[in-house]
Formats: sequence, C-alpha cells, structure tokens
Amino acid sequence: MKMTPAILIIGSLIIFTSVLLVAVILPWTTISEKPSDIFRTRSQIEEEGRQIYIQNGCTYCHTQFIRNIDWGLGASRIAQSGDYIHEQPHLLGTERTGPDLSQEGGEHPDDWHLAHFINPRFTRPDSIMPQWEFLGMEKTRALIAYKQSLGYLMADYRVGRQRYWKEESIRAYEAGPDQNVAWLHSVVPEPWTKLPNPYPTADVALKRGHRIYQSFCIGCHGPIGDGMGPAQPYLYPPPLNFTILHNRGVTGGILYYQIMNGITGTAMPYFKRDLESEKIWDVGNYVAVFFIGQTDAGGQPRGIEAAYETPLTGVGSRE
Amino acid sequence: MFCLSSAVWFVIGTSFGLIDATHMAAPELLGNIPWIVFGRVRPMHTNVVIFGFVGSGLLGAAHYLVPSLLRTSLYSERMGKLSLWLWNLAVVSGTVTLSLGYTQSREYAEWIWPVDIGVLLALALMFCNLMLTATRREENVLYVSIWYVFGGLVFTFFIYFFGNAVWNPGTGAIVGMPDAILAWFYGHGVVGLFLTPLAIAVAYYVIPIVARSPLYSHTLSLVGFWTILMIYTHIGTHHLLQTPVPTWLKVLAVSGSIGMFIPVMTVLINLWLTMRGRLGYVHADIGGKFVMAGLVWYILTCIQGPLQALPTVQRVTHLNNWVIAHSHLGVLGFSGTIALGGVFFVLPRVMGRPIYNTRLADVQYWLVLLGMAGFFTVLTAAGLIQGNGWLNGETVYRILPEIHVYMVLRAFIGVLLWTGAMIGLYNIIMTIYGNRAVRMTK
Repeated sequence: MKMTPAILIIGSLIIFTSVLLVAVILPWTTISEKPSDIFRTRSQIEEEGRQIYIQNGCTYCHTQFIRNIDWGLGASRIAQSGDYIHEQPHLLGTERTGPDLSQEGGEHPDDWHLAHFINPRFTRPDSIMPQWEFLGMEKTRALIAYKQSLGYLMADYRVGRQRYWKEESIRAYEAGPDQNVAWLHSVVPEPWTKLPNPYPTADVALKRGHRIYQSFCIGCHGPIGDGMGPAQPYLYPPPLNFTILHNRGVTGGILYYQIMNGITGTAMPYFKRDLESEKIWDVGNYVAVFFIGQTDAGGQPRGIEAAYETPLTGVGSRE
Repeated sequence: MFCLSSAVWFVIGTSFGLIDATHMAAPELLGNIPWIVFGRVRPMHTNVVIFGFVGSGLLGAAHYLVPSLLRTSLYSERMGKLSLWLWNLAVVSGTVTLSLGYTQSREYAEWIWPVDIGVLLALALMFCNLMLTATRREENVLYVSIWYVFGGLVFTFFIYFFGNAVWNPGTGAIVGMPDAILAWFYGHGVVGLFLTPLAIAVAYYVIPIVARSPLYSHTLSLVGFWTILMIYTHIGTHHLLQTPVPTWLKVLAVSGSIGMFIPVMTVLINLWLTMRGRLGYVHADIGGKFVMAGLVWYILTCIQGPLQALPTVQRVTHLNNWVIAHSHLGVLGFSGTIALGGVFFVLPRVMGRPIYNTRLADVQYWLVLLGMAGFFTVLTAAGLIQGNGWLNGETVYRILPEIHVYMVLRAFIGVLLWTGAMIGLYNIIMTIYGNRAVRMTK
C-alpha cells in the first residue's frame, strides 16, 4: 500500500468520524436522561459550592460514584446513571486519596465540616487534605452546603436528622454537666449501659488505645482528654471533656457504643467503619484509665474468657 | 526552539509534580497558599507535562523530521515560530489560569476556552505548515514517521476540539454520564493519539538512523499505523468501567484495550528487528539511547495497560496510585523519554555542533531512568496497598498512614527527576547559546 497525504488525511478522518459516532455520539443519544429515585435539583448556594469544588480541584482526590465492590461511605447505594443528569462537567473523579463523596451529605453536621476545612487534621488527624482556610468563611459555607447536598434526597434525610439531634444535644449541653452526661448515657440502648469493658487494661492494649486515640480522637478531645483539641473552637456543642464522666456512671459499654455509633447531631462521628471491635474496646480502656480515672474493665458480668486470656494479661500484673 | 521550550517545560512540569508530591507527603508544609494548593497544582502538572514538556519536544522533533524525510525545507520558518509561540502562550496562560482557579475540571481538558482556542490554532498552524511542506516534497515516498505525524495531528486537533466541547465555552463539557464518556474519549485519546503517534514517529525516524539499518518491514508499519488509529480511539471508557455507563460500551472498551497489543507489538517488533544486533550503535548516540529506553517503557506500559483494563484487575487497581504509576510510565517513561531522545537527536543536527556535554546528558539519562523506575515501583506498591485494603473493607482514611512512607519516597524520587530536568535544561541552553569556540581553545 502506497501512502499519500490524501490517504493519510481522509483515512484518519473516516476512522475518527466513525469512532466518534460509535463511542461518543451513540451513547450520548441513547443514555436515558431520566432522574433517579434520589435525584433533586441543587439550590443556588449548593451550585456555588460546586463551583468552588471545581475551582480547587477537589475532584482529583474525591470520586463521586459508588461501586458494587465498595464497603465504605454510601456503599448501600450503587451509583446510577440517573443521579448525574445535571452534572456539567461530570465530577466522577479518578482517585480516592480521600473518601468517595457521592453520599457524603448528612454524614457530619456543618460545624464538623467547618473545622475540617479550616484544617482537615483538626477532625481527622491522619488526613492529607490541604487546608482550605484561605477560602474564607463565605465560600466555605457554600462548599459545606454543596457537600451536604451530595446524595440528594438521601442526603436531605440525613441532614434533617443531624439538625434534629443537634438541637437535642445543644439543649443537653446547656443544661450543665449532670444533665449532659445523663442525656449522653440515655441515648445508649440499655444492654450496653450495663456492660463493662470485657478486655483487661493490659499495657499493650493501652498502648494500642493511645495510638488509636491519636489517629482519631485527639483533634477534638485534645491530648489530655479535656475536649480542648484544635477543632474545639469551631464545634458546638463542644467536644466532651472526659474528666466530667468521673463518678457519673459511665461504663465500658457506653464508651464502646458511642465510639461505634457516634452521636449524630454532634461532631462525634461513628467509627465502626474505621475501627474493628478490639480497637474500639482498647481506645475505650485508654480513655477510661487516663482521662476518666475509672475503669470497669474485665469486671462482671462477663462470659467465658477468650482463649488467649491468661492472668498475666492484666495491668501491672507483670510486676 | 521547540527543544528549549520542551526543556523549560520539563523543569516547570516536574517542579509542579514535586509540589504535588510534597503535598501528599507533608500536607501542611506548603499549606494554605491558594495558588499552589494540591487541587490546582495537579492539573498544572499534568497539562504542563503533556503539552509543555512532552508535546513541545515531540512537535519540535516532528518539525525537523518531516522536512528532512521529504528532502525539502520547512514551508515557512515564520509560521513555525508563530505556532510555537502560540503553543507556549497557551501553556503559560493555561497554567496561570489554573493556578488562579479557572478550570473546566475534566482531566487534561482543564484549560479554559480561550486557552483551548490557542491550542487548536497552534495545532492547525503546525498542520498547515507541515502539510504545505509535504506538497513541495522532493521525495515521493512518505516514510512511516510522516504518517504518524500527520495522523497524530489530525486526530489531536479533532479530539481536542470535541473532547473540550469547544462549542460550549462556559463549561467545556456536556451533561451527565455522556460527559464522562466524552471526557475519557478525550482523556485517553490525548495521550494515545497525540503523544503516542508523535513519539512513535520519532522512534521510527531515530532508530533506523542510529542503528544504521533499514526499517525491517513496511507491512508491519502499515498494520501498526492503521490499527492504532482504529483501536486506540474507542477505548477511553475503560476509565469508567465501575461507573454506570452502558455495558456494551464497556465491552467495546475492554476488548479494544486488549486489541491494543496489535498496534503496540507491530511497532515494537518492527523497530527491534530493525536494530537487532545493533544495540551498540543505538546506544552510541545519546538521542538513540533515550529513544531505546522509551521503547522499553512503551512495552511495559502497553502490557500493563490492557491487563489493567480488565474489570477483575480493576477491582484492585482502580482509583489508587497504581494508575498514577501507569500514567507516569506512559507519559514520562515512554513518550517523555522519547521526546528527550528526539531533542538530543535533533539538536546537534540543527545546530551543526555536538551536544554541549554528552556526559551531562548521560547523567540526565540515568536520573530519568532511575526516577521512572523508582516512581513505578513506589506508586505501584502504594496502589496495591490501597486497592487491596479497600477491597477488604478498610476505609480510605485507615489506609492513608500505610502509604505515607511511599509518598515520602515519591517526593525524593521527584527530586531526582527534577534534577535531571535541570541538568537537561542547562545542557540544551549551553548547546544552543554556549560559545563553543571559546571552550575548544581552552
């Protein structure tokens, strides 16, 4: 075959046109434009937030689609084509340096997001997200509004729940430490409130608890557990000062439940996706021993001892 | 001129890459500075590297090899210079506007509309200039490099036009899932149909010359050329296999991705049989050496590419640093290294004097080679940790501390590459402007 400029150009154009027809135009014209069951349009401030999201390249670290193999945030709702009918440009993203955000709305209350944007490490100490303080308050508010809209109707439901429990938690906080602690304990289902931490406060467990505390808790509750972490100025109700739990009837089970499930409405997120059972018990022990100064670890009632337990695993038992 | 631009952009591109890497390793070191925040530097890095460094280098080489293969001179030097300055203007303004937060957000199509127009004008000018060169050729036979240059320019122009949705200046996008499909038709195509054909053109030109051996097969060249145009164009949807795009399109993309073995292998077999037993000659020329390394990276990229287009493999490799390793392999390892080869091959022939310092070029060769190998290893390792962790139910947040050490290593490897880029810039400046007469008399 002898190649001439005409063959080159015309051949390339024929190939380009046919591929464009098949791979772009055909799906473009045949994909259904019907909204999905969760779709709604965005408000003006949510649109502004989306522009800020675009301008600052959030899409390079956050995807916006849930796959059928995902476990994490929003994994119960696999992405559908009808979720995206107003997306221009699309923000699907290609990397998950940070979590997927397609169902982020209502995961956290607004004040958690504010602290997180001022400095991501205030709420998530291991985060590598840049600080967004330079955006200023107005833009940050718009960005938060956009994030709270992610997930559309499902997000609206979750945001509504955040707002409801925000009011409840503020009321409890403003009633003083006694009522606040009583309220915090009252929102834990009863079997948990009676449950002691089944694991002894072994040195190694406390060390693990310390490590977990530094990766998850320190930003809000602070290095000495007084609730004065760097995120504190942005959060209301403020993070709990653990020392007030002393002699107020806290149990290992209450600590476990609150860490596992979070306290919706406050900045306290649930950690059951981040931490396995043993890690939650360990960090509970750490908080109880070092900040509350009281522990029920290894107390009654308890079941059959786990296979690995020996008398040597207790705290101070090595001496 | 193109060579110098490419070298300058190599330095700037790797500098942005280094800033990115720093952000990943130490997020607060350069914290709270809007114009170099990660989300803005990342597109600055990718676009400068694609269009500035690799693009300029390959286009520069094309402006040398087309007239030389056609036994004529470039139709218009002025037009060439104009197109280069337009091109550079586009890269500069694209970078500055991204830094200020003006972006269209779709990968490699981030530059805003006025910049897109600049790119398209520059491409059109280059195409016209080279086409007019071809009309007054003395040589009747069009060598395979010429096919790739023209095919590449035609495809780049149209894929850039459609991919950036230039008819829609406000957003540079269409709506919904079709926008994702269009964006990846473009995103994959700009690498595959801009960088790849031009890099192959350079390889087809340089290798037979430095190996002092005629091209092995005309038929293989034909197969490679037409199949790359047919296959590479429609596989972009393999970036979207885990999203709700139509299944038939995913099937098309995956089978096409496997089909990529055909154009890649024909080219590589053709070139390697051309230089069989002659690697010594190839390595004796610094340009040939770079091109050869680029071809080795090409085979690795193109074995990895089809494999990671498989849905099963993507369960682990998608959305993490594995893909970043692959993109560095393709753009820095394959087309970037060949662009450097093109620059070092063309420069002495244009200037009529040898490279200022071949040893420095050798040092740069090794820095690029080691940097690339390091990037690939470190990013692949990090990607596997991420992918397997997620698949196992670990949250994204829990995996971050586990990849921290790789992000630190990545930043150090970035320093190697950046040093290589600086050395290259110095070497090229001295080759062009250094007063050799003075040096020789010393």
